Amino acid sequence: MSKFKKDGARAVPGVNTSSLPDIVFMLLFFFMVATTSKEVDPTVNVDSPEGSRATDLTPYKQRSEVDFLYLGKPRNPARAVEFKMGFALSLDNVVQPTADGLYNTNAVKQWKKDKFDQKPPRMTAPIESVITCVKADKSAPSGLIFDIRKELQEINALTIAYAVRDNGMN
Amino acid sequence: MAKRELQEINAGSMADIAFLLLIFFLVTTTMDKDTAFIRSIPKKVVVKDPVPVEERNILSIKANNQNQLMVRGEIFNDPNKISEFILKFYQTNELQNDPTNNFPMYSTATAGMIEGQLASFDKQIEDAENIGAPKEMIEFFENSLREWEKKKTSLRLLGGSELREIAGQAHVRIEVQQATEYSIFAKIQTEIEEALYEMRNDRSMKLWGIPYGVLKRKVALEKDKARDEKAKLDLLEILYPARIIEVTPKK
Repeated sequence: MSKFKKDGARAVPGVNTSSLPDIVFMLLFFFMVATTSKEVDPTVNVDSPEGSRATDLTPYKQRSEVDFLYLGKPRNPARAVEFKMGFALSLDNVVQPTADGLYNTNAVKQWKKDKFDQKPPRMTAPIESVITCVKADKSAPSGLIFDIRKELQEINALTIAYAVRDNGMN
Repeated sequence: MAKRELQEINAGSMADIAFLLLIFFLVTTTMDKDTAFIRSIPKKVVVKDPVPVEERNILSIKANNQNQLMVRGEIFNDPNKISEFILKFYQTNELQNDPTNNFPMYSTATAGMIEGQLASFDKQIEDAENIGAPKEMIEFFENSLREWEKKKTSLRLLGGSELREIAGQAHVRIEVQQATEYSIFAKIQTEIEEALYEMRNDRSMKLWGIPYGVLKRKVALEKDKARDEKAKLDLLEILYPARIIEVTPKK
């Protein structure tokens, strides 16, 4: 009776996927442009406190004028007991163990010096202006930060940056 | 031999390759920016007799082991109010000096005075070079000269006949204890930065109608090309200098 008659089971045509690579490449380029490469995954847990009006370090990063060090609780809870107050320092992914149960502050000096010597020759900034960025956990005791600061002062690395998570209130 | 038809390359796996790359980049990169407060550490020097600082020039912000805050001897329950206090510290005597309050005094530099200082430092550098004075001494004079030159351009930019400056000794002092949480330390730094931003932004809007943030970004991006903007930033920094002392806590 009906005018439109189904003529048997018709096969569903396959979706044309020839433009799929283009779409994915577009996504790929977006992420390549919009993100920056990650610093080494630290072996300590760091949850930065919030702050506002902080300086964006991206331009310094691009000129490799910034070195990061991390201060937090070790990822591995079994190791945490080795440290006084439970906080450890991670320099290039090496958790610093020490005799006094804190961390070897001398290691900071050595680490910074090595880092400075390994800079590419195009980087001409003197050690005084190469930023050392301390990424410390919210609950890290400030005394430890001042210990690091003192070490840096002794080798004349006179620019320090205290990392915070920008809460975007500007 | 029979001609064979050219076979097309099978591009079906192109998407898979692209996906693989995409996922690699997703994993190895971060979206969030690294932001931080950049501070300079003073050079290590041995001082026998430190210069006494007038009490009115010190704004001490203290935090103890229990993370309680004290600003100039008063207990602060709300850390968000610190920036207001810093504004008061800078701006109370900005227009007129009133010796009865406990805030830093302002000094006035005229164009003639600046010229005089420039000439005197020029001469001092010359003298020091002639007698073969130590390098540090000459560097010190040169730095002073540069600072006065900045003041000169700033005064020209500002117009008028005089430049009002906060006392050279006026500073904000952060005193924390060993076990004070880092978040409190960061909060104090935030409050200082907020106060400075507000003052500089207000002045920048009043003088040229440009937000301070825009000036700063331009100088950061274009470096030497943004000469005018750099001079403007210098002026704002002379008017509202960021002088912060972080006191090392006692063991």
